[in-house]
Amino acid sequence: MATEKTDVVIVGVGAAGGILAAELAKAGFKVIGLERGPRLATKDFAPQDELRYFQRQDLRPDVRRQPVTWRPNTKSRATPIASQSYGNQAGGGTVHYGAVSWRFHEDDFRVRSHTIERYGRTAIPEDSSVIDWPLSYTELEPYYDRIEYELGVSGKAGNLRGQKIAGGNVFEAPRQREFPLPPLQLDQVGVNFDAACKKLGYHPFSTPRAILSQPYKGRPACAYCGYCQGFGCHIGAKSSTLVTNLPDADATGNFKLLTNAMVYRVNTDNSGRATGVSYYGPDGSRDNTVEAEIVIVAPFIYDAVRLLLLSKTEKFPDGLANSSGHLGKHLMSHIQTRVFAAFDDRHINIYMGPSAQKHTIDDLNADNFDHSGLGFIRGSQISANPAAIEGGPIGTMMAMPPPPGVPRWGEGYRDFFAKYYTRYMAMTGQTEELPYPGQTIDLDPDVRDAWNLPAPRMTYDWRRPNETKRLEFITAKITEIGRAMGATHVWPSGFSPGAPGSHHQGGVRMGANPKESVVNKYGQSWDIPNLFVIGSANFCSSSGFNPTLTIQALAYLSADAIVKSYRKSPGPLVRA
Amino acid sequence: MLELDEARRAFLLRAAMTAVAGAGVGAVPTSLAQAQQHHQQSAAQPAVHQHPPSTGHGAFLNADDAATVAAFTERLMPGAPGKPGALDAGVLNYIDLALAGAYAHLQDFYRRGLTSLEAYCQKTYKTSFVALGAARQDEVIRALETGKATEFGWPRPQAFFNTLRTHTIEGMFSDPIYGGNKDFAGWRLVGFPGAIPVFTTEDMLSKEAYAGKEIIGLQARAPVRRA
Repeated sequence: MATEKTDVVIVGVGAAGGILAAELAKAGFKVIGLERGPRLATKDFAPQDELRYFQRQDLRPDVRRQPVTWRPNTKSRATPIASQSYGNQAGGGTVHYGAVSWRFHEDDFRVRSHTIERYGRTAIPEDSSVIDWPLSYTELEPYYDRIEYELGVSGKAGNLRGQKIAGGNVFEAPRQREFPLPPLQLDQVGVNFDAACKKLGYHPFSTPRAILSQPYKGRPACAYCGYCQGFGCHIGAKSSTLVTNLPDADATGNFKLLTNAMVYRVNTDNSGRATGVSYYGPDGSRDNTVEAEIVIVAPFIYDAVRLLLLSKTEKFPDGLANSSGHLGKHLMSHIQTRVFAAFDDRHINIYMGPSAQKHTIDDLNADNFDHSGLGFIRGSQISANPAAIEGGPIGTMMAMPPPPGVPRWGEGYRDFFAKYYTRYMAMTGQTEELPYPGQTIDLDPDVRDAWNLPAPRMTYDWRRPNETKRLEFITAKITEIGRAMGATHVWPSGFSPGAPGSHHQGGVRMGANPKESVVNKYGQSWDIPNLFVIGSANFCSSSGFNPTLTIQALAYLSADAIVKSYRKSPGPLVRA
Repeated sequence: MLELDEARRAFLLRAAMTAVAGAGVGAVPTSLAQAQQHHQQSAAQPAVHQHPPSTGHGAFLNADDAATVAAFTERLMPGAPGKPGALDAGVLNYIDLALAGAYAHLQDFYRRGLTSLEAYCQKTYKTSFVALGAARQDEVIRALETGKATEFGWPRPQAFFNTLRTHTIEGMFSDPIYGGNKDFAGWRLVGFPGAIPVFTTEDMLSKEAYAGKEIIGLQARAPVRRA
């Protein structure tokens, strides 16, 4: 049994928790972070091993020890999902991520009102629970800027203070200054994608990524080895929390990290105030506690929701901080559609270079195109990358079904991959999904994890008219790009049978008032002012863009509010 | 590469013929013959363990199961001159080692799946999977793939097929330290150079096959051999 006292306790030190740890420790708070996995270092990632990291998911939660279950609707029984694409160690998902670093569009923060303004109220599906975010792009912009310079994001501006710049993303929201580093090295994937997109009138560009195109802050530039998405970076050129915020937190002398510590309860007193957390230690001991003035819950969305549900009290019988009844609701994910292109007349060599979303068009994302008469709202990021967002042969074969007419095994299959593995590329439509109240996370009544805690259970099915129409529209557009490349074979992947895709979001959504949301724009609980929940669980809508940079910007916003306002007068940062 | 391949195939074929003569069975696939040869050698010389080249097993699977897995995976990824297959890459060895280690939780999945496969073949063809010709073996595999094979409880036939397919891909294309991808056979098949530490601007922009001269694994390196 261990009991410690501190100013701030942070559950999960990934994209959000790492920033809060560093910023609050710099401001003089004593901070203890808890992480259920280990803390790894750059030297641990020397083995460039596709089986270990991609196929066996060494940096993700073990599905047998830490199951997350899914069912398409409340009538069916949930079963554990086969793979879990989030972190399981200090640094969280930023250790294995592809480092794609987007700022959301201005209208991503106000999907409801923007849609009503342009298309009328009826354009929003009746059963969608989408609300505007309680903050605007302009309010978050300084924090986007800060994190881009903290990480060293490589890219080219497409909208500098309102001035559109060819070669960058001309659809991006206005930025105050250029990216800290120039775009990453162009490769054959980018060459082919750009040429085809330009032919079709789109505006392709090199995807902004938190991977160093030049040496930055004492770290080396990317070597283009290709072991990127799914892997830890063996030279520290990918800007994971392990090589950015955590060393900053260490340097303050005010930060301590407890690893292999599984938090199972946020403790509260009779007044309803959070007093700290209880956790299982590495030896399985149960009665370990950290007492703190401020409790920050920052794991991935499953564990954020589960922890609050497990921490229910007499005052909060439906889960801690859940007087609104919105805890665990409005789950969203990115539904992906892939189209493959294989060439007889050229090599692509897909295994080279950073693998995630190498080049992108934003023309068909958000509300960047007219949706009148299309039967759906919102759009999709369309990017070029390997089939599995990781370019090795195992990933390719697992993620890319052969084209029609080629068998899945035997001589024909062998010959297809022998010829085309180095001559193919994929394009991914990463589509925005609207939130729906019936898409939820709760506690699985049947399945338990290695600590005997109920598994988080998702109830979810993306196959709704608005989402299906969008996916079909986007798939057709990507297929046109494949044909415009002059590929010999162009074929689609097909859609998932209702299961959630990647980048799960929602469950602890923020809002302008305590009736429609669990937390305010700072991630502060409306019910318990010294409890913060920060991460993609807060998102009100999903955008078609990867969530990490926005998670990080929100973490800076919260850290600033805690340091500048909450410390002076601990209490609600937003009046209900 | 071609020459080496042919020499190896000739050796494997000779080994198969010896085993066939010894066992007095009809024409059987190479993998079965090899496994039988191994079996016979073990029986004749109980003090000496001789593992045949590249179809080695011994960490988990028994000889009969090993022969079935070898034959099944070779049909999924068949070898031919200049085109290494599951047998050449040592997929059986990969699966055998994985079942004794990282995939120990799949031991009964394999045991039961192989028992069901054998029962289905006995019921349908009155003989075992390994004794069937290639075309018949493919017929059986398609019956699993489409869920039409009878005699399966748990695992379901599609699940068993999908797992063997996945493990064949892993054994072909994972680093050789895991026991498959022998002499980078899988990587050579598809033109993957392995863990190259740096790709240059020229490499990245090239429309040709990668020009590097070496395949690099976690422990081994080997020259790229171009046919």
